[in-house]
Amino acid sequence: MSDLTYVGKNIPKVDAKEKVTGQAMYAGDLQFPDTLFGKIVRCWEHAHAKVTHLDLSEAAKVPGVVKVLGPKDVTQKLYNCGVLDLLASAEVGHMLGEIEDQRIFTDYVKHQGDAICGIIAETQEIAEAAAAKVIVKYEPLPVYLQPEESAKPDAIQFDARKPGNKAFQLPEGMFPNNVYGWGDVDAEMTKAELVIENTFQLPKVKQCQIEPHAYVALFDQRGRLSIWTSTQMPKLVQNKLARLFEMPQSKLNLIPTTIGGGFGGKLGMIFEPETCAMAMAVPGRHIKVQSLREEDWVASESRHPGKYWLKMGFLKDGTPVAADALFTADTGAYFTHATGVPFTAGAWLIGMYKYGAVRYKTNTYYTNKAPSGAFRGYGNPQTNFVLEQTVDQACRQLGIDPVEWRKRWHKQVGDDGWCLGIPYASSSLTECLERGAAKIGWAEKRAKYANQSGPKRRGVGVSVMNHTSGAMPMLLEHTVAKVKMNEDGSAVINVACSDVGAGSHTALTQIAAETLGIPMEDIYIDNNMDSAGFDVGSHASRTAYVGGGAVMKACEDVNRQLIERASERLGIPVDQLEIKNRQVVSKDGKASMSVKEICSVGVSNYVNPANGERNGVPGQIQGYASHFPSHNSPPFGACFAEVEIDIETGQTKVVEMVIAHDIGRAIHPPSVHGQLAGGAQQALGMTLTEEMRYDEKGLIQNNSFFDYKLFGPLDMPKLTTILVENPDPAAPYGLKSVGEAGTVNPVGAVANAVSHALGIMFTEAPITPERILKAVNERGIK
Amino acid sequence: MSSHMSSRGLPEFELLIPQTSPEAVDMLAQHREQLSILSGGTALWNYVRGRNRVTPYVLSLSALKGLDYINEIPGEGLRIGAKATVAQLIENPAVSAKYAALHESGYWFGNPTVRNMATVMGNVLRASPSADCSCALLALGCQVILQSKSGQRAVDIDDFWLSYDVTARKPDELAVEIRIPEPKATTRSAFQRLTRVRQDLAKLNVAVRLEMDKGVCQQARIAIGCVGPTTMRVKKTEALLQGKAISDSLLDQLATSVRGEISPIDDQRSTALYRQQVAGVIVKRTISRAAAEKGASL
Amino acid sequence: MKTRLITLCVNGRDYKLEVPHNRTLLQALRDDLQLTDTKYGCGSGECGGCTVLINGKDNVNSCLSLAAEMEGKHITTVGGLTKNGELHPIQQAFVELGAIQCGFCTPGMVMKTASLLAHNPNPSEDDIRRGLEGNICRCTGYENIIRAVQKASQMINAGGARS
Repeated sequence: MSDLTYVGKNIPKVDAKEKVTGQAMYAGDLQFPDTLFGKIVRCWEHAHAKVTHLDLSEAAKVPGVVKVLGPKDVTQKLYNCGVLDLLASAEVGHMLGEIEDQRIFTDYVKHQGDAICGIIAETQEIAEAAAAKVIVKYEPLPVYLQPEESAKPDAIQFDARKPGNKAFQLPEGMFPNNVYGWGDVDAEMTKAELVIENTFQLPKVKQCQIEPHAYVALFDQRGRLSIWTSTQMPKLVQNKLARLFEMPQSKLNLIPTTIGGGFGGKLGMIFEPETCAMAMAVPGRHIKVQSLREEDWVASESRHPGKYWLKMGFLKDGTPVAADALFTADTGAYFTHATGVPFTAGAWLIGMYKYGAVRYKTNTYYTNKAPSGAFRGYGNPQTNFVLEQTVDQACRQLGIDPVEWRKRWHKQVGDDGWCLGIPYASSSLTECLERGAAKIGWAEKRAKYANQSGPKRRGVGVSVMNHTSGAMPMLLEHTVAKVKMNEDGSAVINVACSDVGAGSHTALTQIAAETLGIPMEDIYIDNNMDSAGFDVGSHASRTAYVGGGAVMKACEDVNRQLIERASERLGIPVDQLEIKNRQVVSKDGKASMSVKEICSVGVSNYVNPANGERNGVPGQIQGYASHFPSHNSPPFGACFAEVEIDIETGQTKVVEMVIAHDIGRAIHPPSVHGQLAGGAQQALGMTLTEEMRYDEKGLIQNNSFFDYKLFGPLDMPKLTTILVENPDPAAPYGLKSVGEAGTVNPVGAVANAVSHALGIMFTEAPITPERILKAVNERGIK
Repeated sequence: MSSHMSSRGLPEFELLIPQTSPEAVDMLAQHREQLSILSGGTALWNYVRGRNRVTPYVLSLSALKGLDYINEIPGEGLRIGAKATVAQLIENPAVSAKYAALHESGYWFGNPTVRNMATVMGNVLRASPSADCSCALLALGCQVILQSKSGQRAVDIDDFWLSYDVTARKPDELAVEIRIPEPKATTRSAFQRLTRVRQDLAKLNVAVRLEMDKGVCQQARIAIGCVGPTTMRVKKTEALLQGKAISDSLLDQLATSVRGEISPIDDQRSTALYRQQVAGVIVKRTISRAAAEKGASL
Repeated sequence: MKTRLITLCVNGRDYKLEVPHNRTLLQALRDDLQLTDTKYGCGSGECGGCTVLINGKDNVNSCLSLAAEMEGKHITTVGGLTKNGELHPIQQAFVELGAIQCGFCTPGMVMKTASLLAHNPNPSEDDIRRGLEGNICRCTGYENIIRAVQKASQMINAGGARS
């Protein structure tokens, strides 16, 4: 990989210095001289209730309160906070049953945390004091916390368009029989010599990005609505806000702020609608809305929990003859990502192994909890917990080594990926398995831990995954990149691509530097949304792949123009010219022209008054690409985990973890390692310690870091991340994604390590000491 | 409307910053229940927000001098001033050498920032059954010295926590010192806690103090937290140790006995069933560890 | 509500403020002094985003500290480590070792590191993990942060230290 100058290099991130000096501006840091403060008032007392009486008069009287806004004081238009509906055609969206069911302030509370009104005041403290003076009466309604409850025939309907409170199932028009898969599962299952069937329970877990949601908005004298936001999807949010507030997109000025983590939680709108509505109410004044940490769990989206049933049939030699799955997903109170995650959970299942036949179904229901939405991995962590444990159960009963089974049965180049009809162009999963197994000492440990005694038991487990680089063909994939060459040959790359912290802007700069052949210091990423062309945003692990593809093409467009200009000036055919060291040189080395001269002359193009001649070819050089990728280059990965469990207390220590990732090519290696390590921290939490808990009234019990427990530095295992680099032929610089991969296979690996240690498979996550001890006692393990 | 107290700021109160202890005591006499005492700040604000109310006055100890000591007085024992932090506690060589349970309870508590702010006394006054230093102090035995306008009095730690969140401190009293008697050379102690992740409040904690004499336990104090409304001793279990050598069968007996003396509940951090099962295990392990501590022959 | 006149010494500079009694140090820094490098992450002392250095050596959670109690103390925020645009070795190490992703935990994490190294100039990996507890990072899994702290301690011990 050393034939490249910038790509693949361990260089500081382009935004590292401003972050480490505290100069990076997050939305909550923005200061304007005239700022007002907005408080979104939420229902904390009920998870399901009608607002029967709302009286804002006392709140309005508090000195320093500028405006109070009830539901009818703002637009009543419905919207969907999620943005998937913009990524499918109207026809497909209609087939999928996408709806818009959210409004800014509601008089019908569908989850604890639903917003009922807003207060605008001179200071944050006054806004909060006034919020306490809002008088509201509710008529409580029955609360539905599980799909089984809201699916009952007598349950209150959340939305007339969704009978039976079923928000989504795979539509017949796109998925015959509402099923994703192939073959005749029922027929193939009869051939099985071993059937493993279980229902798994997945928890509702939260992204917990460390930056609390904050926004600033201004409705100015030009009628432009400006919104400062750290959304992951600036262009799509701009689109939605323009439509919501019925103004042309050219009047919606979305200014991206430094993103303090997203992980899918910002994959769409969160409180932009409320903030913009407040700004419209106080024209000419900046308004800042800063949410509280405790609001995060009740007012923004989380991972889809639910029951995930999987039945797999195997022959004695391990052949997976059939897999039959049903994910009964809980999409929470509003539609948001009801179509996305429940579909992709099945897609990752489909994409993993060479089943004889496979059938995936999903029924997704509303419940009275904060909506489920996008969380890094997008259905894959759930599938990993279910599929990888099922495979391990079969391996145990058939006496087959789990690594060998996966090497034999994982899909290969040429097999269909997660989206049927798009075959894998590359896969290094076998190499990942082999290198990871060697690193953790798989064979020795599997043998060593086969028979144990004493209070401490160890186990080692493996899990594999497939994911994607961008969401084509299911969803729109498109990035526009523009490269403006300054007179001095430095470049400005104008893209709407966001950097959620993963290092996307750094990777795009490296790709530009490599393609243009100029140093990174001479390139600036301009993220201005007014000037940037379209980009979908940061989701589906797409930015380096699709954004990078667009940047690469736009830079190639620049190079082509430079060569054409030089050809014209030097009188040498274009195919005899190439760009090296910031020069356009002839391949025989005899002629050259500096890029700087071409750029300078293109801009500062003078007409000689004496003879009317120009000093060179006129025209500022700008590269352009409107890039629609032709593939989605799925990455693969293998994860190995070793655990130690104290069977007298159930306490579990994750001793070591090895993650080998099929990255294609690592554009910025430290960021790739960082993505795997950070994803692992989230996966470990989902598997062992994280879960949002509710009482019987649907009120959350643990909306704070006191009781929503994340893995800290002392909890993390000894971690090795291995990057397996075999470039993907369909990808820019051969790269494949890593953004979401880290959250996926540690889930299955740890669960499998636990079951190796104890001989017990846990079908419910998180696998807490309480659950372990209960199971150990029930089985009499001493 | 929402009774939720926001995490962004603090509710309104009048801050009193006495410059001397007599001044502080005067303020306590004047305002009594209308006043909360603020030392480290790691507990008070979350406590206030959890209960959704604050007293009209908050008395800060920040200006008081001479209360941040940890002194060992030969022949008498350890004296911990009201403002001594947990960070100071775990750095103190006398504490780690002779009061192992207390050292360990401070070592595992919180994180470096919290240990720097939180005081040992604050831990005791907070009266939470999950408090770590409190658990060790109950096992070691100590007195809490309370100062009022009418003078000082000492309250035995066994009599200090009256019920959940209620202590023997009267509203006009300032807690000024903790006094732990000097252990014998053959005294052993240890502390252990269980958490969900490392950075966490305890879901169970145990501390023991054993008076050993040539391999035989003459007297034991066993303190357990998170299994009742206050940190508690399990006296019937302690009695089983009296005059016995510590053997595996004795330890098993102790584990069974512990289960009968505690009344844990389900809460955010764990379940009653789990605590019931595991308390005995942790008591066994803590006793074994204390008894095995190296030193002169026991 | 009653107010107090206080002087806060932040990053070597004195600021005179009139603050309500219940003003936290975090609010005073961010809202009264417009020093936004220290962050509100949870307001409850759990995430460490508000970590500042006191008297060059010890950390406090500024969200749980009263501004009025901070008189006479030298408070350092992450902006105070940078001198004339030049990075402190801890900041340099964080940049070099890929320890910064979204960057929101970074100011607090850097100040936590400053306290750790002030107390223990040669920490083992276990010391570092223990020393960073109380500062939550959701992006990095702590791996590169720990490498950065190791690098920073080498740099400082090799003579790169600045007070």
